[in-house]
Amino acid sequence: MRNGPRVRATAAAGVLAAACVAWAAVPLTGAGPIGPVVLAAAAACAAASVARLALGAAPGEALVYLNPVLHAGRLLANLVRRWLWAEGLVIAALVLEALHHPRPWHTGLLGAALLAYLLAVHLAESPARLAVLRPQAPLLAAGLGLLALAVGAAMLPAATGSAADLMAVLAAVAAIAVGGLALRPP
Amino acid sequence: MAAQREQGTAGPAGTRQVRPRWSASTHAGRLITLALAGLIIALVTRRPEFAGVAAPAVLLLAARRPERPGRVGVSVRTSATRLSEGESADLEVTVTGYGDHSVALTVHPRYAVVPEPAPLSGGGASRLPFRVDRWGRRSLGMLEITLRDRWRLTEGHATVDLPAVDCYPRPAAQRTRVVLSRLPSRLGEHPSRSSGEGVEFTGVREFVPGDRQRRVNWPATTRRGRLQLNTFAAERTQNVVILADTSSDVGEPGSTPVDLALRGAAATARAYLAVRDRVGFVIYQHTVRWIAPGLGARHYYRIMDLMLADPGLADVRSREAGITRLPRAGLPPGSLILVFSPLLDRRLVETLRDLRERGFSILIIDVLNVEPSDRRDSLSELARRIWRMEQQAIRFSLRELGIPLVHWDGEQSLDEPLAPYTRRVMVSRR
Repeated sequence: MRNGPRVRATAAAGVLAAACVAWAAVPLTGAGPIGPVVLAAAAACAAASVARLALGAAPGEALVYLNPVLHAGRLLANLVRRWLWAEGLVIAALVLEALHHPRPWHTGLLGAALLAYLLAVHLAESPARLAVLRPQAPLLAAGLGLLALAVGAAMLPAATGSAADLMAVLAAVAAIAVGGLALRPP
Repeated sequence: MAAQREQGTAGPAGTRQVRPRWSASTHAGRLITLALAGLIIALVTRRPEFAGVAAPAVLLLAARRPERPGRVGVSVRTSATRLSEGESADLEVTVTGYGDHSVALTVHPRYAVVPEPAPLSGGGASRLPFRVDRWGRRSLGMLEITLRDRWRLTEGHATVDLPAVDCYPRPAAQRTRVVLSRLPSRLGEHPSRSSGEGVEFTGVREFVPGDRQRRVNWPATTRRGRLQLNTFAAERTQNVVILADTSSDVGEPGSTPVDLALRGAAATARAYLAVRDRVGFVIYQHTVRWIAPGLGARHYYRIMDLMLADPGLADVRSREAGITRLPRAGLPPGSLILVFSPLLDRRLVETLRDLRERGFSILIIDVLNVEPSDRRDSLSELARRIWRMEQQAIRFSLRELGIPLVHWDGEQSLDEPLAPYTRRVMVSRR
């Protein structure tokens, strides 16, 4: 079995995870008092998710026949494999971004990077090649277009106030839902 | 394992129908997390750009198709049902009825079963090589079948039990054989002391009426002036009873006295059956199980099956009843008894003494290669010395009774420790 594509996808996932955390964290002082806590959580999730990809699938051998050091190592590795680190990274990065002042284009780029990170993780942990994403390219393009629209809408000068903001959010959600229904493949 | 084990229903030609358990894939789970996190943060913070973050994930999830096969056919068989330790075989797996989904197969092996690297296969028919590293009747484990849709957003999991294989002990190397001086009157391949129709020249004697003329030795006839005849040794078979002591399983798995006893017994049985000797087999454990001496390749597999403790195959007696009370069919008089034992069971030692006193020719192959606890404190050291002295005393008393004893480490060929007894016939003393 060739491991080249898997190694490349793991490396890409690592780079994208680090980029997402760093991008969501800057500026460090802008996230308030709980910012460092969320940043630490995001960094830990990023590191563990890459470690999970590097570890690969659990070997089938029984643990009881191993010596104590190897046994403890295998237990730790199984713990890393079991937890949902990638999901944790997505949530932590978005929360960290939300703690900053509104900056729509910055959030848009973070969203695109998180999507790329999730696709890289998927390619790294499955035997699929990059070509498996080709049929999804139109949907990805449409999704990124909707993201750009939402970012653009957020940057437009608009009426301020709680109700107006909520209307803007609902409009974005409705646009996404309509796009999803319209672009659903037969 | 997320999927429940599915026993399935039998179909044509050994195909089982199994029902996959469908769920969102981990990839879909992550996209759902991204979409939900984006939308929730957008609603809480009233910032529409976070709703935009959710857009690509929502569109990808909307592409998921609802069609999935409710059942798939799975056919599993092994390329061999009988293996020796360390031998490889293939699992031949065919999956049908999976539509346009992709199929991935994962073997969850049981103890001593080692899956070997297999070529990538996305189709429904696959060969999955495996190896069995230790003897025994081994269940291979479970096969997990994973079906994925084109978008890899839904996964179906089903699990089927794999068949069992018989893994025989790997026979040690043995090319030579111990042969008794006194052999029963049955045609075989060992030259005996009596003259007969064999091919091994033994001497010359005077012609008597009725002898075959083709055996006349003309040079001797010319020298002596009377007709002289070549004589040849009769070729006889011998009865060999192999006794494997599996009552003490100590040491590292894979090189315990039980492993060595069975590997040695397998080698010996094969070596003697190859020259058409009659080979019997006795396993000494918590019970005594035995097979009467027999001939041929079929008998070899009966012996190997007895090693795997096939119930109902052999006659069984309690250990208290003892080997000495086996009927003549199981322990024919004049047999050569080859014992593979660590000599840790006192009752067996007493039994061997008893057999020797009854006139059986016995050769013990000592397969003990471990010592008690290797702790370095003085008490352990003292206990170990006492234990060694006891073991030496047991071996000395057996030698004194005229029972030869050799040591085999399990690594070298059996020919090496047996060499002093295979170079010439072993005198059977009464």
